[in-house]
Amino acid sequence: MSRPVNPRAMAPARAGRTRTAAPSVPDRFWSAPRMRRYLLFDATGITYLLVGLSILRVVWALGSGPEAWQTVLRQFRSPAYLAFHALVLLSVVYVGVRFFGLFPKAQPPKIGPASPPPGPVLTAMLYAAWAGATLVLVLVLGGVLP
Amino acid sequence: MSDVQKKKFVVTRFDPDKDEVPKTQEYTIPVRPDWKVLDALNYIKDEVDGTISHRWSCRMAVCGSCGMLVNGEPKLTCSTPLDEYGDEVHVAPLSNFPVIRDLVVDLEGFLDKFKSVKPWIVRAKEKAVEEGPCRQTPEELHAFKQFSMCINCMLCYAACPVVANVPEFLGPAAIALGHRYNLDSRDEGAAERNEVFRGEGTVYECSYANECSEVCPKNVDPAAAINQAKLLAVLDWMKSFVTPRRGGE
Repeated sequence: MSRPVNPRAMAPARAGRTRTAAPSVPDRFWSAPRMRRYLLFDATGITYLLVGLSILRVVWALGSGPEAWQTVLRQFRSPAYLAFHALVLLSVVYVGVRFFGLFPKAQPPKIGPASPPPGPVLTAMLYAAWAGATLVLVLVLGGVLP
Repeated sequence: MSDVQKKKFVVTRFDPDKDEVPKTQEYTIPVRPDWKVLDALNYIKDEVDGTISHRWSCRMAVCGSCGMLVNGEPKLTCSTPLDEYGDEVHVAPLSNFPVIRDLVVDLEGFLDKFKSVKPWIVRAKEKAVEEGPCRQTPEELHAFKQFSMCINCMLCYAACPVVANVPEFLGPAAIALGHRYNLDSRDEGAAERNEVFRGEGTVYECSYANECSEVCPKNVDPAAAINQAKLLAVLDWMKSFVTPRRGGE
């Protein structure tokens, strides 16, 4: 039926005169489409944790000699690692698209005398910056840029 | 009653004198296609079971009294058409609030948070009557008008995952109202409110889930207000290093 949340959620500073039932949320609170989208966003944090661990592994291999380094490179070419990195890419795209959608409305109508650009312009600027950064990265990795 | 159809309502009940925890009770009643969920609850109260308790008043989505969970979603029951639902409708009190009785939640915790953000115009010195009213341009009104549409229905609190887990969090409606006055050209209390925003229950607890804005029946967009308030509270804090506050603080 329902599951408990923090028992002090929305509790008054001074206890009331009547006994109250503890605050709760519906058992299937996660089944609403809007909540699923948010939980999916939260779940992308797991992929970033795993990316962090794999970076630590790369650093460890760098300090452990050529053999360890070659082992890591071999593992990175395995289907499992490629699938993992595809998942990470999807996570980043999802978080980016979500963030770019929410970013414009988080801008105050004015900061001092200046107003931010209209929402669609801000969103376009974010996507342009993303595309630009990706292009630079591709050129560096492709050896076109030093 | 022509055009009669029957629906089953599963209503959460809680009697503080008898029940340890809330339970549900089922009512099968005749409904009309043009009814809202609130009409069905009132029918149950009037014709079937007078012991059921629920809040309502205006019946036109203005007073904010009749917020409840309908099939798990925070809704204003007076403006939620019954024909959006199937043969079984679950009605429960708002999530994240202590329950006083049946569908009635305790709003005292909200009122504590609400008062803390000073949701009124703060002036360093009131203008004398002879000086006339504080005038405002349409642009100045536009800056905050959206956030002044809040009816305190609490649907945003019921939807917010942070409210469920961080009791100190001021919450969407209180922050939106505080921010509304910070943006008001007639107000001079932004520094005081920003201190509250940066203090216990800080605006930075918000993880921008955007749930509050998605359930808001008046399109107030509290998530926008909270995230604007975050930036302005930081700028205000930085400004405090270079600009002396009133009273030499």
